[in-house]
Amino acid sequence: MEARANLKLPPPFEQALSRHEREIMRFLLRMTRDQEDALDLFQETWLRAYRAYPQLDSEAGLRPWLYRIASNLCRNRVRDNLRRSRVISNGDDPAGHDHRATSASAACGDHADVLHLRRAIAQLPNKQGQALVMRKFAGLEYEEIGAALDCSPESARASVYQALKKLKAI
Amino acid sequence: MDETLKFDIREMLDDDGPLGDAGAPADMAVHAALRAVHPRLKRAIDRVRRPAVRIGVIDTAIGRLLVAEGPRGLLAVHFLDISEAADPLPTLRERFDVVEDADTAARIGREIERYLAGDSRALDRPVDLSLVRTDFQRRALLRLRRTVPPGSVITYQALAAAVGKPSGQRAIGNTMAINPVPLYVPCHRVIRSDGTIGHYGGGVKRKIKLLRAEGFSVARDHRLPAGSVMGHLVTHTFCRPQCHAAMRADRAKSVIFANAQRAQRAGLRACKLCRPA
Repeated sequence: MEARANLKLPPPFEQALSRHEREIMRFLLRMTRDQEDALDLFQETWLRAYRAYPQLDSEAGLRPWLYRIASNLCRNRVRDNLRRSRVISNGDDPAGHDHRATSASAACGDHADVLHLRRAIAQLPNKQGQALVMRKFAGLEYEEIGAALDCSPESARASVYQALKKLKAI
Repeated sequence: MDETLKFDIREMLDDDGPLGDAGAPADMAVHAALRAVHPRLKRAIDRVRRPAVRIGVIDTAIGRLLVAEGPRGLLAVHFLDISEAADPLPTLRERFDVVEDADTAARIGREIERYLAGDSRALDRPVDLSLVRTDFQRRALLRLRRTVPPGSVITYQALAAAVGKPSGQRAIGNTMAINPVPLYVPCHRVIRSDGTIGHYGGGVKRKIKLLRAEGFSVARDHRLPAGSVMGHLVTHTFCRPQCHAAMRADRAKSVIFANAQRAQRAGLRACKLCRPA
């Protein structure tokens, strides 16, 4: 009598964490361009993932699912930051944006050209920026990006295309 | 806009695939960020951490089983070929951190094989009835496990009476149907008062098989064998079912043995009125 491993379960949470933490961190650093924000969102992403882990029903869905949590949190953060900056700065500190970019680049040890690219990506509409990063830097399939951003694979492909068109036009 | 950036974007446009690491946060930075966040993350998760449960699938002589063991004991034994039985996996995953563990499953499987081969003590490991919803159900299952050893059976009615609900035989029937740990809590040892064996969550065929393995030669009509005797757990005696003493005895404290030898082996002596042995 042999024990069989034929339950189609996602991997244990700790395994999912060690397998995907690097790319999620990379994604968050890229999207937030701010080390502290990225750490906060990273913690929140994985805490939410842990809480909701019982609802995840296959290993194949794991990666887009993680990106989905992370990108939703990014979107919320952008919204919250906009609201906050409107209240605080009232539009008189346009340099506020660049502090962030500088601190992120210090953390990541970048050159100026990379900084340009990163800033250009940050100016993209939210969905396009995220789709672009998932496709071009994290290497997700369009199906996975669609699952992460709650849209069709075709729409994900279109977002990436639009994002590239805009970057090229800069 | 400088040359490198143009080159990057050109490359991104030309190639539909991933671009790799151009302009990515350096590995060093990612590594440092992870190191900074790990202790925080661990503390946050520990606050909401679910207990661990090891599960596995095993093939035994009575079919393919899903088994699950938690820190406090065996949580679930599930007949995988019974489609109408509720799959315990979603509930388990909701309340526990489920990990597959072939070794634990295999150990439980060997134990079940030993039991089926006649070792009546093989299924002694602790059970955890936290998947059971009501207190009545939990009491009934524990009572059954404690007082009805292999080689004996009890009626739905008697078990109901034993947990303080003399007319609750239907509730007992439902409880046996939701028993999360069959075999370990021997719900196959609960039968109908008319002497037929009744239903079983794992199918009547299995119930017959299990009862036969425990010495009840269940007949074609699903009746218990003619030699069955009533055992009284208060007086430690056993009678033929038709005995006057058996009629008067407290049902809540009676079980049925396959034959006189089994009753004697359980430490009971023969009734002096009906002389079953």
